[in-house]
Amino acid sequence: IQPCCCGSNDSIKKKRLCAGEKMEAPPVTVMPVTGGTINMMEYLLQGSVLDQSLESLLHRLRGLCDNMEPESFIDHELVYLLKGQQGNPFILRARRSLSHPTSPWHLRYLGQPEVGDKSRHALVRNCVDVAASHSLPEFLNEMGFRMDHEFVANGHIFRKGAMKIVVSKLSRILVPGNTDNTERLSLSYLVELSVLAPAGQDTVSEDMRSFAEQLKPLVHLEKIDPSKQRH
Amino acid sequence: MMLVPCLSRSVCQVPVAEGKSVQQTVDILHKKLEQLGAVKQGSFCVDCETYHATGNVSGNPTKLLYVMHNSETPLSCLALFEGGPCLIADANFDVLMVKLKSHFQNAKGHKVECRGSRYRYCDFLIKVGTVTMSSSARGISVEVCCIRVRVETLDFPAVTALTLGVFPQVEYCPCVVPGDCWNLVKEFMQSFLGSSVPELPSVFAAKPEGLFAPADSVDTMTQYLELFNKLRKQQIPGSNVR
Repeated sequence: IQPCCCGSNDSIKKKRLCAGEKMEAPPVTVMPVTGGTINMMEYLLQGSVLDQSLESLLHRLRGLCDNMEPESFIDHELVYLLKGQQGNPFILRARRSLSHPTSPWHLRYLGQPEVGDKSRHALVRNCVDVAASHSLPEFLNEMGFRMDHEFVANGHIFRKGAMKIVVSKLSRILVPGNTDNTERLSLSYLVELSVLAPAGQDTVSEDMRSFAEQLKPLVHLEKIDPSKQRH
Repeated sequence: MMLVPCLSRSVCQVPVAEGKSVQQTVDILHKKLEQLGAVKQGSFCVDCETYHATGNVSGNPTKLLYVMHNSETPLSCLALFEGGPCLIADANFDVLMVKLKSHFQNAKGHKVECRGSRYRYCDFLIKVGTVTMSSSARGISVEVCCIRVRVETLDFPAVTALTLGVFPQVEYCPCVVPGDCWNLVKEFMQSFLGSSVPELPSVFAAKPEGLFAPADSVDTMTQYLELFNKLRKQQIPGSNVR
């Protein structure tokens, strides 16, 4: 069978696709996928750089990472709390892009950091990411969530294999809901190195540590436990 | 070439035929559709899970959250509060609900499923389903979807296989006022359902005149939810769902 322009080796499919005919949707004969049962974990290292060191860091990252030009972003994040009868409130983070306003919202749940192997180099916590429609804030309110705080993050994203490096400037929103009027929170940029992987992949934190070494002394990425900073 | 589908869907309940079981009535409907010339094209499944909020202050009615799935859109799910806001999310929303189990309890015994076959007849897509709750058949649903395809630019030979449903690569562009489309759907339904044809679904009656709003899957799922709730209440008079 000769490979055809569309790259398909299946002869029937090849003929149909080449003729411009749209394939009819295959009949659905299996149960829909109802969410992953795989527990995804976020591995995280964090650090910061002063504004004046940003360019050197971006230059280093451009050299080390996959993409030629970094992607830049401006996001608006809202942190919601659901207070239950007992225990700590349940936290959800809702994020939307201000540079791509029609993109879906991104809802994220982060679990408690895994306590265990102290020699593990990165912070590890359960992570659930959900893409959601624009009715998300209203829907969360209906569920009983209340917005605790919001902020704007803007910066750059780099990737190296499965690793994601985000360099961002966080800004405080002065008037609730108004993302045009913001004030920078500090004179530095937050640097986060993260990987999303199924539970049990312990080589991940090793790879992250090696990469973090290459960023020294521009930035020191460490395992920072967020529960030590909880309000 | 850009295909521009217009979809108008109606979901209704069909009463079980006199002296026959649910399965026998479904078989009769299948035969009628096949006699009309409809062609079977696989199967479908729509399901609905119910969650109730725990920890409510007494005096406030417990809020019910419904999470629905449709095999036509296997990567998505729809979460809604009856008469309240709804959310379209990806399949990971189910995983999130597991994490929220201390705040929202899954009423497992109230899961409703509607499964059956899909039939295609010209511009119509008909799905005949058996609605079950806790493995007992409660009723029969029929969903009729009218697809009108308008080809925007014809650069290729005429399409012989129409795309069904709403696909990400096809731009959805409504071209018919729901009121007008409803008569077409109703007339078609009469040809095989006889007198058991419902009136204009409430989701369309509530919409203002004019173009069909793009939230089509929400309207379809809302119709399924109304049907499921009706069937839930029908055969278990002492239900303690609410």
